[in-house]
Amino acid sequence: MSFLGRGGPSPAGGVNHERVEMAINEIDMVSDVFNRIVSSCHAKCISPRYAEGDLNKGESVCIDRCVAKFFEVNKKVGEKMQSAGASAQATGSTSFSL
Amino acid sequence: MSSQNVDSAPKPSQVQKSGVRAAFEYTGIPPSWFDKRPKLPSRNWLIFLSVTTSIVGYYVYDRRECRRIRADYSSRVEHLAKDPLGTTDLPRKVTVYGAKWPGDEDHDKSLRFFRKYVKPILVAAAVDYEMVSGRRSGDLANRIADEIKTRRRVDAGLESPSQSPVPLPNQPTLEQKRKRELEGGIVLVGRHTLKEFMSGLKRGWTESMDRADREDMLAQELASDGRFDEPEEPVVDPEVVDGEPLPTRSRLLPSQNAALFSPLQMSSSSPSKSTQSISNIPAHLDTPPSTIPTLPTFLLVPFTNHIGFRQVPNMLWGFFNERHKVRAGSEAAYSLIMSHMRPFAAPNTTVAASEVQESQPDGRQGGDLDFDLPAESYYHGAYTPSETEKARNTYYDTLPAKLATARALARGTRTSTKEEDSHPPPTEVELRAERLKKEMKWRSDEAGWEIVKPGQPAQWDERFADALQVFDEPRADDVG
Repeated sequence: MSFLGRGGPSPAGGVNHERVEMAINEIDMVSDVFNRIVSSCHAKCISPRYAEGDLNKGESVCIDRCVAKFFEVNKKVGEKMQSAGASAQATGSTSFSL
Repeated sequence: MSSQNVDSAPKPSQVQKSGVRAAFEYTGIPPSWFDKRPKLPSRNWLIFLSVTTSIVGYYVYDRRECRRIRADYSSRVEHLAKDPLGTTDLPRKVTVYGAKWPGDEDHDKSLRFFRKYVKPILVAAAVDYEMVSGRRSGDLANRIADEIKTRRRVDAGLESPSQSPVPLPNQPTLEQKRKRELEGGIVLVGRHTLKEFMSGLKRGWTESMDRADREDMLAQELASDGRFDEPEEPVVDPEVVDGEPLPTRSRLLPSQNAALFSPLQMSSSSPSKSTQSISNIPAHLDTPPSTIPTLPTFLLVPFTNHIGFRQVPNMLWGFFNERHKVRAGSEAAYSLIMSHMRPFAAPNTTVAASEVQESQPDGRQGGDLDFDLPAESYYHGAYTPSETEKARNTYYDTLPAKLATARALARGTRTSTKEEDSHPPPTEVELRAERLKKEMKWRSDEAGWEIVKPGQPAQWDERFADALQVFDEPRADDVG
């Protein structure tokens, strides 16, 4: 996960705006991923009719696997995009293909 | 009587028509159709239609039965999925092992069987699963052995249990993790997986618990082999021998000069003469324990993979009779979910426990180790050591030429030609690495086949008798 190990100490002189900007972007991305996971796995795993508030075992297992798969795919897509971006940079083209 | 009473006697053409004719007479249907008699299609059409209909019908019947069986077993276990689960609790998790079927390039076939036939019932019952696949023959045995050795090291205090990089608040302790594993279960798909698992189990609990890096050991062994020597030196031992210490060492010196930059050569200069790494674990800790902690319960799933041209009839049969596989898989999943266990039936051991390999010619050992024995006959000719021999010979025949080119180019004794500039030939380091990879592959194939081949009994140890259980079908008295 990209946000692990982040949050270095702010320099003694004051707030480093670039760092703050990066941190804000990071939080945005992470919360975007989180919202997507929540909406996607909720739609897939939790049926609209239920009687009690607790999750039952089927839903729990389904959500576990849904989140695991989501992160797998997210990681793979990220790697692909990175390599595509790197190759696009190397060749200097404006468009890239996956 | 009076002929004047010429009644309008109904003429033949005005006969009252009945039934279909009467109803449909004026609807536009060609009148000749009313006079036709129903008749069967011709003989050839009959043959065609009956053959086609029977094939399609059997297929449809089979798939409907499959669906019905799956729905039946799912409905039996569905109620378990509706139980609530606390937010910090974890569901039951089973580990599924599926080794590579000998002779099949696709290593995933066992796990595919699991996914198609056993998994739906587990999903219906909300049992989580983790799939472990053996990519090559013998991979699974190595993996199991390594895991057991790690566990022994952790238990002996030589290693701390693996920590996740981020300290999360609710991390389960080692005890809880082990308990969860025990409650979960182990699924072994196919007899080959059982054999590999037992072999790994025996090795893990019998060998030294030292961390053995197979690549390093092989690299050392290969480095003391005479293959990469200069051609001026007579190569005495072309075949691999367990690193002869002194005679080859003097012969190694010339090639050491040539390849000082090789990392493998540096490891061979250390005084390790045998392929065994020196154990740095005190002997009193390293003795194999006399009792083995209980393993999670086994679920033995019968599986036969039909590959090859001669088994095409079996494949066709399997295509039209999937309901048997569905039933077998669902039964197995059901017995796992119902958690009805029995102790593992130990094989017959009439000789001393150390020579347990004794068995009848067809590999029968008695007890549960005979699980799915007929499946072995299907991979009888899957691997022969001679094919590795041939590959080895061709490789080692072409090696000196490549080596000479690499060395000549590296030392600058000759300049490279144009083709060599555009496609640089492999350097000596690359050749060594390639050789290491090939030898690893050949040896692991051979070792894996040794474990799995038909007639080879599954490994057993008398310590296992108390540590293993098997999932069994629930008896009639405990209804699911």
